[in-house]
Amino acid sequence: MNKITIGIPKALLYYKYKDLWISFFENLGCEIIISPNTNKQILEDGIKFSMDESCLAMKIYMGHVYYLIDKCDYILVPRLKCIKKHEKLCTNFSALYDLIHNVFDKNLIHYNLDVDKKEDELYAFTTMGLSLGFSYRKIISAYKEAKEKEKLLNERRISKQKSLIASSNKIKILLAGHPYNLYDEYIGKQIERILEKSNIDIIYSDNYDQKYLETEVKQIAPHNYWTYNKEIIASIVHYQDVVDGIILVTSFPCGPDSLSNEMILRSVKIPITNLVMDEADANTGLLTRVESFIDILEERRKQK
Amino acid sequence: MNAYLGVDIGSISTKGVIIDDSNHILASSYIWTQGNPMKAVKTLMHNLEKQIDKKKIHIIGVGTTGSARKLIGTMLNANVIKNEITAHAVGTLSLYPNVKTIFEIGGQDSKIILIEDGIVVDYAMNTLCAAGTGAFLSSQASRLGVDVEDFGKIALTSKNPTKIAARCTVFAESDLVHKVQMGYQKEDIIAGLCKSVVSNYLNNVGKGKKIKAPIIFQGGVSKNIGVKKAFEEEVGCEVIVDENGHLMGALGVALLAKKSPIKTNFQFSIADDNFETKGIECHKCSNHCEIICVSRNKQLIDAWGNRCSNGDLMNR
Repeated sequence: MNKITIGIPKALLYYKYKDLWISFFENLGCEIIISPNTNKQILEDGIKFSMDESCLAMKIYMGHVYYLIDKCDYILVPRLKCIKKHEKLCTNFSALYDLIHNVFDKNLIHYNLDVDKKEDELYAFTTMGLSLGFSYRKIISAYKEAKEKEKLLNERRISKQKSLIASSNKIKILLAGHPYNLYDEYIGKQIERILEKSNIDIIYSDNYDQKYLETEVKQIAPHNYWTYNKEIIASIVHYQDVVDGIILVTSFPCGPDSLSNEMILRSVKIPITNLVMDEADANTGLLTRVESFIDILEERRKQK
Repeated sequence: MNAYLGVDIGSISTKGVIIDDSNHILASSYIWTQGNPMKAVKTLMHNLEKQIDKKKIHIIGVGTTGSARKLIGTMLNANVIKNEITAHAVGTLSLYPNVKTIFEIGGQDSKIILIEDGIVVDYAMNTLCAAGTGAFLSSQASRLGVDVEDFGKIALTSKNPTKIAARCTVFAESDLVHKVQMGYQKEDIIAGLCKSVVSNYLNNVGKGKKIKAPIIFQGGVSKNIGVKKAFEEEVGCEVIVDENGHLMGALGVALLAKKSPIKTNFQFSIADDNFETKGIECHKCSNHCEIICVSRNKQLIDAWGNRCSNGDLMNR
């Protein structure tokens, strides 16, 4: 049998599940092709295939899918409705599969997650593996191994961040937001570059141990049901005592963020600023905002 | 005598000051940018040069701020290039050490700066909306056939300001046209417009911020007495407009240049050099960055805009 090539768009949930996905398909012996970092071409293609009202991250995703077309046998486009009981994800994540299917009409992998309907991650990976023609036994062991690797890499990132917090005396900023915003070349990386030039230590909100998530999230938002936003909120609660300031990164116009950002901005006790990123290329406004935020933190340090 | 030059170059106007070691303003100038920051700065230099005795005064520090700060900073070989929020705060604090809140409405953006114990603790800028900025007011003035400079005075004569939808420039404009066609008085509409600028500002930029007195109001729009009055009615206390309010950014960055350990040797003759900018698109990777190249007398002095080292024209 020829090796199956799986294309993974480097956008949206890629940044959350990349370790799991990549290692799962590797364990099954598939070829994997990942689209490159977002560049101008990808962004322009994405805008072309998107509705005007889509958020920036969605537009970018469309561009990444377009890049992968005809470069692989299947494209992994998950349909995630619910990953934790009684909680919700942004509707874009449940619409994504059908949206891509209707726009591009290419071979997509069937990857469905809806915990409220008892379709959990194991179920999703099993159906996905079976649809690609692998045996049940092989799928289960590939999934288990991938899950362990994901856990290990995640723990490693968290402990690396912990030791940075403990060892460095530089000004620290918590970059908080969805991973697909934080790590995208046209969203979070633009901010990251400014911070790095200013000699700031960056703490990322997704490097967070979710052990105390439920108690931590309640300090800011007791009745939140957006799973990914809860993670951001809990991480902010967790890190707010060890950082100098928080930059909340949002892509325009995000629905769930518009709700939870308000709660965060009103509750956090340290300097915080919300940067809303859109597809405009000029970053003068961004530079002014980030620089003046750093100025505030530096002045506060001097006063202490 | 040592002196320091500060230049604040915004979308609409360009401001410059020269201060001495005890922070006195020796010279100042305020001109329109007219879409050409480099030309505006040359004019500004000539204006400032005339006001001082060049034999006695040596400029050893240059600071730039405003949206063209990088370009002009490169051109003037500035030792400090600072964002306008910090520059405005520093400038205002030097004259009003007790200030708690700064309202700033300029040609294209509006900001609020919150200060506690002489340091900036929070700020906000308008994001995706330009409603209520200077550009909006001047376009509405020309629609009503009034000089924007007279706006404030006319607004004060109104006894019954018309309500104008403030959410958004587009809605405000169509609402304004509607009110005109309905037969409302011009002064009432103008006063309503001033009020809408204020409520838009407070609901947008000032949203969720604790506004405490003393409040200083700056930027081009602060020259509009109608907006000042509308602010005072809305926040319920005095709003101070300094006669040098338009120079605060330039003053602030001049003070920062003074504080900076780096010194430069500035000559006014720089204004006679031939500066050029050129935008080129880099094709070395798929990002296609637009790189701005600045040259002085045909020699490349700086370039920026590249996302990766492929487009680094300076260090090759």
